[in-house]
Amino acid sequence: MDKDELVEYFRTQVRQDPEVPSAVAAIRTLLEFLKRDQTGETILGLRENLTQTIRRLEEADSSVAVSSGGELFLRFISLTSLEHPDLSQCKKVMVERGELFLKKISLSRSKVAKLCHTFIKDGAKILTHSSSRVVLKVLESAAADKKRFTVYVTESQPDSAGRQMADKLQNLNIPVTVVLDAAVGYIMEKVDLVIVGAEGVVESGGIINKIGTYQLAVCSKAHNKPFYVVAESFKFVRLYPLNQQDVPERFKYKADTLKAVEDLAEEHPMIDYTPPSLITLLFTDLGVLTPSAVSDELIKLYL
Amino acid sequence: MPGADKEADLTERIEAFLADLKRGGCGTGPIRGSGETARETTALLRKVTAQARWSSAGDLMEIIRKEGRRMTAAQPSETTVGNMVLRVLKIIREEYARSRGSSEETDQQESLHKLLTSGGLSDENFRQHYVHLKANVIEAINELLTELEGTTDNIAMQALEHIHSNEVIMTVGRSRTVEAFLKDAARKRKFHVIVAECAPFCQGHEMATNLSKASIETTVIADAAIFAVMSRVNKVIIGTQTVLANGGLRAVNGTHTVALAARHHSTPLIVCAPMFKLSPQFPNEEDTFHKFVSPHEVLPFTEGEILSKVNVHCPVFDYVPPELITLFISNIGGNAPSYIYRLMSELYHPEDHDL
Repeated sequence: MDKDELVEYFRTQVRQDPEVPSAVAAIRTLLEFLKRDQTGETILGLRENLTQTIRRLEEADSSVAVSSGGELFLRFISLTSLEHPDLSQCKKVMVERGELFLKKISLSRSKVAKLCHTFIKDGAKILTHSSSRVVLKVLESAAADKKRFTVYVTESQPDSAGRQMADKLQNLNIPVTVVLDAAVGYIMEKVDLVIVGAEGVVESGGIINKIGTYQLAVCSKAHNKPFYVVAESFKFVRLYPLNQQDVPERFKYKADTLKAVEDLAEEHPMIDYTPPSLITLLFTDLGVLTPSAVSDELIKLYL
Repeated sequence: MPGADKEADLTERIEAFLADLKRGGCGTGPIRGSGETARETTALLRKVTAQARWSSAGDLMEIIRKEGRRMTAAQPSETTVGNMVLRVLKIIREEYARSRGSSEETDQQESLHKLLTSGGLSDENFRQHYVHLKANVIEAINELLTELEGTTDNIAMQALEHIHSNEVIMTVGRSRTVEAFLKDAARKRKFHVIVAECAPFCQGHEMATNLSKASIETTVIADAAIFAVMSRVNKVIIGTQTVLANGGLRAVNGTHTVALAARHHSTPLIVCAPMFKLSPQFPNEEDTFHKFVSPHEVLPFTEGEILSKVNVHCPVFDYVPPELITLFISNIGGNAPSYIYRLMSELYHPEDHDL
């Protein structure tokens, strides 16, 4: 399976099912590659092929989620290959476990929604940022639980993703208002809690998310409002940024921008980093975590 | 028949316990301390394990869960009852895993690692019957009871490391744990204690009397004077009713004031709480978080004229966020609030969190 076919397969996955998280699509693509791969003779060779494939996928879609999904898959391969040194048997086990893994993580969004919606009280005013499918699921299950609440969504330029979120919420009959990104400080005194999604959760317990999340977090800290993050566990990455500059360039801009533009200093970054001190709680399919618990999870997996 | 007699005796004891719980939560402070409640709950659960009819671990867990639900429904604010039920459930799981011979690692929490390496969806239904399970579980519960009996002493033993000579310590209301802590330090050090009286029940008065009987220099202040006096205080040591899953506290009314004043003056805030007070609840999750008692203490019924025109509330508990706390001292040592999640994962199993 050559590299272009792979990227095409990935793109088709995303196109067919817009609800699927990009990390899951990446893992599905890699599993497909594993099934079709006939050239690998050794496990080391397999790993090398996979690493190249992941790099190719990252060139197609530069989001943090694809990177974390890829690293998770590599780790999965290493762990499985430790148990079964024989390649053909190993491949069979890998494919089996891979399917099982995919099945489990397709349920993770519902698990997160189940944990989070009890924190939304009747009459609550919620502020969210840009468009996140996990937050949408959470609000959907809270509404299904017959809770009454209103939502404020930031417009989230430069792609106005907030407006799409507002449309989706209106279809669920949830009262929603779109506010300007600049109006976050203005609206903060009215809201009761802030819920955002995450593109990646870093080792310190902080998050990488659409640009504008950091100022939302700083504002909510200043007003003492709880700042909740909802994210599935496959978004945990092994990064440890200490400030905004530490976030690698390849995540900050869209894939096309990275290829086309010479001087990245002229471009606007698409994501920012929110430190763990501003986050109250993280809701994941592994349970409700405080930011300090995230590094524990990563250590259990990678070390 | 002796069998039926024993069962009737068990149900009678449970009913008496439930009635006690329902009564015990009145405003003048708990009729029994939380340590006693924890011990009674565990003793009762041991009796249930010994006398109820069950053939597999799954049945036993169901029975314990049912009793647990009844007990927590009787007095939702008394979280130690629920905590002890969760401890016993974890004990049963561990003993079952040990009997099966599988290592204890496999049955632990959800983690990314487990997601990646497990061979199949775990359908652990605890249906297997093991002959020695009953004896093992009862032995483990006995160990738990021994641990419960020693908690106050274990905490008091650590006092000398934290209290130094000529220090001024502030505390709020009355906590048996803090009392033992201070008394233990007083054997070797000389220091001064300021007790905030903690209106409207003024349990601080009793605390001050007990401390001065142990030859500790004590001063009682009104709650309004807490901020004014805080600049002279070296450390604040308090007890709590519950430690929440995020490291915050549910403590007696007035504790949040002390915590904020301590933060303003950069005074360390130490919480002495035994491990059985650790609860898997998060703040703002349950509607039963707050408890209100008769406002008679705040505004007596004799002030009839005002009563028709105002609303009077008398809440019992306060929430203290984890950022204001410096250190937790428990029977297993000192820990930072950010570490509470780890202690919780060692004590309770995540599937049991909603009884």
